[in-house]
Amino acid sequence: MQLEEMKNLWDEMSLKIDSQQKLTNKLIMEMTQQKFRNRFNTLSLYETSGAVICFLAATFILLNLDKMDTWYLMLCGILSLLILIILPILSLRALFGLKKLNLSKNNYKETLMEFSRRKKNMMLIQQFSVGISIVLMWMVAPVFSMIVNGKDFFMQEHSTVLLLFYAASTIGVIFFARWGYGCYKRITASAEKDLKELEI
Amino acid sequence: MSKEEKFIQLIKENEGIIYKITRIYTNNESDLKDLYQEVVYQLWKAYDGFRGESKISTWMYRIALNTALFQSKQAKKNGHRVELEKIVLKQENYDPVLEERLAIMYQHIKALNDLEKGIILLFLEGKKHEEIAEITGITATNVGTRIGRIKQKLKETIKS
Repeated sequence: MQLEEMKNLWDEMSLKIDSQQKLTNKLIMEMTQQKFRNRFNTLSLYETSGAVICFLAATFILLNLDKMDTWYLMLCGILSLLILIILPILSLRALFGLKKLNLSKNNYKETLMEFSRRKKNMMLIQQFSVGISIVLMWMVAPVFSMIVNGKDFFMQEHSTVLLLFYAASTIGVIFFARWGYGCYKRITASAEKDLKELEI
Repeated sequence: MSKEEKFIQLIKENEGIIYKITRIYTNNESDLKDLYQEVVYQLWKAYDGFRGESKISTWMYRIALNTALFQSKQAKKNGHRVELEKIVLKQENYDPVLEERLAIMYQHIKALNDLEKGIILLFLEGKKHEEIAEITGITATNVGTRIGRIKQKLKETIKS
């Protein structure tokens, strides 16, 4: 299809659409209300529930921090606490930053550049989160062992089954991290491609 | 006339434009409706900030295109893949021949990258290079170059 042919067809379609206009005043005003906004603008269940779980776990650790009776358990407790609080905040902040992009302020090119920048930032934080979750997993285990069983994780004997479980969990998280890194690379490459297209 | 009344009038006068933009950037009826709503919402949100420095149509195209671009990028991860042919013009006076030709046209447009989609839409809407430049943020000369490239791409598509 040639551009000129497209133009004729577009004009024909425009005429037809204009003759069919049927939005009512009520419908237009309903569309301007926040409560009628569509699914694109709600944070997904995963994103919010993940943060809630992290905050609940952090509260639980904070309330039981006095049970950490050695320096290394206390260190594990404090580091776990920091990760569980800071990581979801960073993640949600980046996500909100992306969702709250001001679409009326800039032109198309600037919006595309800003979107790509924020997307890359969000993916970087998510990737960092996945990586640090391996560290978190090993730090939370001794803390919970002390809180729930009152036993020092580093001093007690571990059954083979439990050790296998830890090893399997670590391998699982590493695979998840690798998969996440693949997604990060893909999305970052796509953002770079968008930016390159603007420059050509 | 109240702010609401003025806004309603603006949307009614331009509802066809919003429809055409949303159709280019979506692949099914449900996404189209969502995007349509979002464009109206964004226009309403920005309405107070419109100072008349540019033409109202320029302002409107800019926000509608930005919203469409943003939502299409957000939607990509959801992986909606519905055949283009299933989307039709509003059902009244349905013309299957016209709809088939439109489906082919949209297929060509959707094969372009995001910026080219915006440029071709504005070109088809009869906008001058200067106005396209103002809306998209690239120079008027670059608009001309890109339109030339789009023509070339279309020719190549026909050949293949």
